[in-house]
Amino acid sequence: MNLSARRMTSVRSDDEAFESLFRTEYPRVVGIANRVLADPHEAEDVAQDVFIDFHRLHSATAQYAPAWLHRAAAHASLNRLRGARRRQKREVAQALEEGERMLDPEKQVEVDEDRRQVRAALGRLAPKPAAALAMRASGLSYAEVAQALGVGIGQVGTLLRRAETALRKEVSRGTSN
Amino acid sequence: MVDDPDARSGVDAAHLEGCAECGARFKNISDDARSIVSLLAVPEARVDVGRAFERVMSDRKSQPALVFPIPGASTRPFQLAFVAAIAAVALVVVAFTFSGFFFKPTTVKTVPVTVADMQALSQLAEYGTLTWTKQPQFQAATNAADASAIAGGLKPPVVTNLPAGVSKTVTYGAMSEAEATFTFSADKAKAAAASHGKTLPALPKGMDGATLTITVGPAVGEIYGNLKENSASSSSINLPQLIVARSTAPTAKSTQVTVGQLEAYILDQPGISPELKKAIKAVGDPSTTLLIPIPVEYATSKDITVQNVPGVALGDNTGVGSAVVWVKGGSVYVVAGSIKQNVAIDIANNLK
Repeated sequence: MNLSARRMTSVRSDDEAFESLFRTEYPRVVGIANRVLADPHEAEDVAQDVFIDFHRLHSATAQYAPAWLHRAAAHASLNRLRGARRRQKREVAQALEEGERMLDPEKQVEVDEDRRQVRAALGRLAPKPAAALAMRASGLSYAEVAQALGVGIGQVGTLLRRAETALRKEVSRGTSN
Repeated sequence: MVDDPDARSGVDAAHLEGCAECGARFKNISDDARSIVSLLAVPEARVDVGRAFERVMSDRKSQPALVFPIPGASTRPFQLAFVAAIAAVALVVVAFTFSGFFFKPTTVKTVPVTVADMQALSQLAEYGTLTWTKQPQFQAATNAADASAIAGGLKPPVVTNLPAGVSKTVTYGAMSEAEATFTFSADKAKAAAASHGKTLPALPKGMDGATLTITVGPAVGEIYGNLKENSASSSSINLPQLIVARSTAPTAKSTQVTVGQLEAYILDQPGISPELKKAIKAVGDPSTTLLIPIPVEYATSKDITVQNVPGVALGDNTGVGSAVVWVKGGSVYVVAGSIKQNVAIDIANNLK
């Protein structure tokens, strides 16, 4: 095989590895972002940005690839959540979309308000506990959360407990204001 | 959230089975966790992975920031400057170390090269066949430990005095060990020379079929600067503000031809300047000296002492660009960036 043919093979195998990683991890990355943003469209935007960043700088065969993607998804979506302008835009879009399909308008308003308050509370947590909650609630195992956050697996339980307590406190504070 | 096997494992799990008090506490924790899950509940996002993949791949921003086309090697995206720092070492070895049966540098020295020299030397690559016996793999990593693992345990150097004005954003990079063998071919050499309209000096006896095996890396380093800014297309180059890298010193070994034969043959190539010939001949022991080619038209250099060993400083104090290179303890170190030369030397001297 000549040099250019070998180079082509290498490029192809890199692309194949990225596609395989994408197919496995994309739904999970969207899941994490959706858990934070409560908006599937914006979650997909975040997921695509995360994969684009990853593809530019990392090898899809890197062992740390899934952990990197999970952490990036959590942090990117939390950053969006904290962006006031984007939050308003998202809420308008969400209200319009959900308005079209809701069956019980009164009930839907309640659900929307609850979600908004929970997300606002999540956005006020420190990055690590907020990311831990989002990842775990979207189905990542303790081991995956540990890898993504760079902590020992034995610390995940404690981290989650504290994060849950902090979230509950923030939700209460939000509703009492 | 506590339905994971790791939420209660080993001794804890056994204890929970038998202790009513702890069992009740765990149940409370489980109930709390479930209520948090329900707070965070959202309708599942339905995704079309195939379409999403196409969108990502068609986004120009997703294209690798830079691809360094190493023959046969992985063409994963990597930042030019770090690769260039590593590749410079490889190129130096390929270009100048045909002079030994075995080459393992313990020090560095600069040699002046002209554009004509580089052209003449680059044509040497056409005088045979290059085969990668171990392909280099370049990877970026998020932390020093990951980078070190990729580089076979080689620890990245630590900057202890980051100058003001240099971004603290760090990307780690690593390259696995690579090995390539160049096999000289009399027929290829003749054909290449003919295609360039040149007549070759007589090949030394044994040159046809002689091999030169070069080992480079592993290497590991840090790139300071925001690499993502202004890099919306694959053609844009993000020059980082500072790079520090460490590579296991390259080695080269040859078969069939002697040190003197190879050196004489290379220096006899048409186009090699008298200055380069003189500089190479002036190097005391070519088998232990890493020669850094300095394009005389574009760069300046000076010999310095860095980390108590001889090193070379390239560039100047304008801040446009400078680099410091030295060999110590079996490793080649590079500090380079868009910084002043005296700043580069200071960073090099304080590198841990």
